[in-house]
This record gives sequence, C-alpha cells and structure tokens, in this order.
Amino acid sequence: MAEKNYYTVDPLGKLMCMKCRVPLEKGKAKFLYLDNGFPVELPVCPRCGFVYVPEELALGKVQAVERALEDK
Amino acid sequence: MMIGKTTSVCPVCLSRIPAGKVVGEDGNIYMEKRCFEHGEFRTLIWEGDLESYRAWASMDAGGKVLPVRAVEVEKGCPYDCGLCQSHERDGCCVLLELTNRCNLRCPVCFASAGEQKPKDLTLEEIGRQYDLLMERGGPFNIQLSGGEPTMRDDLPEIIALGKSKGFTFFQLNTNGVRLAEEAGYAEKLAKGGVSVVFLQFDGLDDEIYRTLRGRPLLSVKRKAIENCREAGLPVVLVPTVAPGVNDHSLGEILRFALERMPHIRGVHIQPISYFGRCGLEAPAMRLTIPRMLRIIEEQTHGLMKSGDFGGGGAESPYCSFHASYMRKADGSMKALPRRRSQCCCVKSSDARDFVSQQWSGKAAYADGDEATSALDAFLQQAVDNTFTVSGMLFQDAWNLDLDRLKRCYICEVDTDLGMVPFCAYNLTDINGRALYRR
Repeated sequence: MAEKNYYTVDPLGKLMCMKCRVPLEKGKAKFLYLDNGFPVELPVCPRCGFVYVPEELALGKVQAVERALEDK
Repeated sequence: MMIGKTTSVCPVCLSRIPAGKVVGEDGNIYMEKRCFEHGEFRTLIWEGDLESYRAWASMDAGGKVLPVRAVEVEKGCPYDCGLCQSHERDGCCVLLELTNRCNLRCPVCFASAGEQKPKDLTLEEIGRQYDLLMERGGPFNIQLSGGEPTMRDDLPEIIALGKSKGFTFFQLNTNGVRLAEEAGYAEKLAKGGVSVVFLQFDGLDDEIYRTLRGRPLLSVKRKAIENCREAGLPVVLVPTVAPGVNDHSLGEILRFALERMPHIRGVHIQPISYFGRCGLEAPAMRLTIPRMLRIIEEQTHGLMKSGDFGGGGAESPYCSFHASYMRKADGSMKALPRRRSQCCCVKSSDARDFVSQQWSGKAAYADGDEATSALDAFLQQAVDNTFTVSGMLFQDAWNLDLDRLKRCYICEVDTDLGMVPFCAYNLTDINGRALYRR
C-alpha cells in the first residue's frame, strides 16, 4: 500500500493540509506521552487541527524523550 | 578444574605462552600459565564462583568489527599492534600523549612520566596523528593525555586543530593541579572546547594521595572541581583503586560525586594494574570485578547494588563494569536498564552519542529551537539527573589475556606504529621493560 500523505509542499516550500487544502500555520500543539505533556509550536492546519511533525524531530528529539521516559 | 584456555605472556620475558583459566580450591577463578624458562604463574582473575563468572558475559555482543587499514600480522598478538589484521575491534577512544612532562611524580604511573627526556609533540605531529586516525576509521573520541597535558599552554589550539579535522569530543585526562592553581584556566579550557575533565581523584583523605601521588592533594582536587563548576566544565572523578590504600574509600568518593551532580557526571574507577612505574607489589588477592561491585554495594549501603552493573558489550565484558542511575525527585537513585553498547567509550554512532551526552552533560538532541524548547528542557533535566558509575580493569603482564586484548577499543596513537591497544602499549615486564612504550 502506498504511504498515506496528509500534506503537500507547494513550490514556495509552504506546507499544505491535503484534506482541507489550506496552508498550515505555526500554532501551539502538545506532545502527550506517559502522563507527560510537552507544549511545542509546529505547523498546524487551522481548519482540522492536523499537526505536522518533521521527520527529524520525530526521530531525533521526540524519540530521545520517549526513550528517557521509558528508561530505554 | 580447568574451565577455559587462552593465551598470555610470561611476566619475566613477555614471551607468548598458553594460559588456562581454572577454578581454585577457594572457588575463585585463576589464570595459570607456565613459561619453560621462567616457571609457573598464577593470578586471581575473578573473585567469585564459576556461575557468576559465566553469567557476567551474558550481555556480550560478540562479533567482530575489523580495524580500518589494519597492519599485517607477522609475529602475532601482542607483537604486531597497530591495529593488526587479527584485532577484532576498530577503536573508539584514542589517547593522544601530548607531552611526557608532569607536575607530579606519582609513585604509581602507567606512563612512567618524568623518567624520559622531556618531549612535547609539536602541533604538526599532532596534526599527523589526527590525520592517521581519520584514515583509520575516525573520528574517534579523543583523550588529551600525557604525562600531564595541562603542562602545555596550547590545548585550545590542539582542540581547534582536531575540530578542523572532524573530531568532536575531547576529554582531558588530568591531575587537576593547574585547574586548581591558575585563576581563569578552567574557563580557558571550557571556551577552548574541552568536553569533559577526567580528574584523577583517589579519595577524601590526604594519606591516600601521599601513597599514590607522593604528596597531599585533597585541597587541590576540591579547588579544581570548584573551578570547573564555575566555568561550566563537566567533571568525571577517576579514582585509581589500590588494595589496602583506598579500597575503603569508594563509598565516600561516590557520595561526594552524587552531592555534586550534575556538574560531576559520574565516577570512573580504575583498579590498579601492575605496569609502568608502580611502587606497589602485586598482591595475591587482586581487585577483580566482583570484589569492586561488592565494595560499591557495601560502602554505599545498598544505594548502588552489584546487580545494577553489567560488563562491556563491545570490549570484552571482563574488561569493564558500568551502571547508570536516574536520580528521582525524592533523592533516591534508580538503576537504569543495562545497555548492551554502553561503556566508557565505544565506536558505534549510537553509543558514541551516549558517551558524549553522558560525560559532557549536554542533551544530544537539544538544539535550542524555541518552538520545541519544552522537549529540550525535559531532555536536559534527564541528563542532569543521570549519573554513571563505570570502571575499567587494565591488564598487566600477570593477567594479560590475549582474547581480551584483541577486543580492546582504547588505543594509544603512535605516529610510527599507528593505533596500539592501551594494555599492549603500556605492558611492561617485571623489570619495567616495555613492549611498545618508548
């Protein structure tokens, strides 16, 4: 199965929400993990609330936090 | 009862000879070997039973990672180090001996510093050593060593040169005298790029320093630590532990370090080895891993337990022990699960990040991006509350096990020879004659 895409990047490098067809805006979001919440600012869809998490953030900092919380 | 075979050397002539591992009458594990010319030798290698000896290797990652550009085998281990084609690891931590000068004259010194004609490597020679290391699989974690490396005034330049060639982690191995005595020196080193100070710290009693270092040094050590703290330079305490001298002091040292977290990152224990200049006689009962762990448990009154510790996964498990702890809000210490690749120094990028993060005290993924600063803060807090206790048992002519040596990760760099495993480079016979060190 092809990988699902939730956003597109227009020629100017701006992120678009695939579902709502509107540009993502910088907004507040929160990572919730094992009873811990971390407020962050990331590109968010102003209509449906979809949050874009860059791959390097997911595989870097976020994964490091998960490891620390799980004592991995 | 014979439980295994390996190869060692004769302590008198350093000839390669077969060795057996046996269970002694007391239940402990010994190495037995015989040189046709110089007789029989027997050394304690594990003060514990056979079951515990075997269980210690259960985290062993095994496998081989061959050195990059290995030198050809001619005479066989341990005579072709450089690293040679039969070596089973590619190196990780590398000692640069920047000078053989020292401002102490310790009765115990593996480098026998101060006995040779004073010699500092020139910046050009150091540059060649960096180049050699990059050609052979670098960048490695660099240990600025000696002699006493702070005898030089150009450590920032040496680090800048290393950075320009691609190295990122610079550990300073020091006795702390200059850090204590010279105002502004710790700050100069922090700005100059030192990642962490490995501070020789043998105890909290001046009698210990008189025996091992030739003069009282406790106030110097305290001052050095204070100056590093003010400069934001992380410190790891490194006790050389000798039986009957300071093996009663480990609990004190650990408590002293814990009280100074996170600026003191951990304690790295080096049970004494009988090579180089060593004014102490090799005793019948050596400090082996099980004894060290029992001492730690007893002297910390169970705050740290034997079972928290594991052996090396990359180097031979019988060369090291380590445990990491997380300090909880109530001050208690929780042992973190043992990691296969955790050690004081390993090469794989994951483990190297771990080492760099743990010793330097900087969260590896924290990038200062404001948008995700809550994650940075959490990661930094996790690092600030993590404390590592580790130890490495260097080998000498009495207990050298070539199976262990072939997996050595810590090398001395030599412009002519290349990368020589630490325990081969520092090996001396009973008369102090070295195999490699010049």
